Amino acid sequence: MNSKSEIPTIPIDRPISWEDWLKGRQARRAISERLAPQGSQRPTSSSDRRLRRQFNGQRGLPFRKTEEL
Amino acid sequence: MKREQITTALADIRAEQDPTLKAQKLASLCSAAFRERGFELVVVGGSAIEFYTEGAYTSGDVDLCVLRPAQTIPLRLRQEVMGELAAEGGPRSWQVAGLFVDLLGVVEKECQTPIRQLQGPYGAVNLIDPEELLVERLLVAVYPSPNPSARACAKELLGVALTGRVAVDWAEVQKLAAAPGYKVLPELTELIREVANELKVRNPYDSN
Repeated sequence: MNSKSEIPTIPIDRPISWEDWLKGRQARRAISERLAPQGSQRPTSSSDRRLRRQFNGQRGLPFRKTEEL
Repeated sequence: MKREQITTALADIRAEQDPTLKAQKLASLCSAAFRERGFELVVVGGSAIEFYTEGAYTSGDVDLCVLRPAQTIPLRLRQEVMGELAAEGGPRSWQVAGLFVDLLGVVEKECQTPIRQLQGPYGAVNLIDPEELLVERLLVAVYPSPNPSARACAKELLGVALTGRVAVDWAEVQKLAAAPGYKVLPELTELIREVANELKVRNPYDSN
């Protein structure tokens, strides 16, 4: 646990609880968005055909907005 | 796991619309099912990257490898276990609760840091360590040709690590980047400098 911000850190030496992992999602997304605003998802992969068939032409389900995490 | 538990879990996963949660819940269920048969699995690839970064990287499949024992799971056993989870397809790839699950064989891991673990809703989920993911993404970002998506991914992993959101062993990252299997130490040093400057945080390789 990061006592300064109370946003849990994903630790090295012990498991993280589901609740703590959820608590840190928004902070992690904010950092990732800052560093890669255009996103990092691969435009294509060898699984494209099955993914696009399953997800209405997309490669997966739509991501939640940062403020909804 | 009892049949009712599996049915409840599958209904929950099917209804989940957040792709990151859906993938981790499914990984938790699959891990629990194979654990009962003596096999420990580990999440690799996009779902593991997403676990650490929330970088909107993952797609609609979950990649799993065998962690322990270091041997492939017999095909018959795979089909039996995945059949209990109402999966379709196989014997290496299945469709379950609206996602695809790929079982890729025994995990390849050079890094000495521990596999991370999430206490998932249906059982523990093992995740390939961020040190290995970072150096691997960095290698793919550079070789065989520049790969912007892999570079963005490496930056995101560095970002969550440098800001303390994900604890990493920086000495191990350096060692791994310099290892013959990767040889990306100069690229690592440069990218860490870039990300640390961008986020205005301390570079762990700076001596002062």
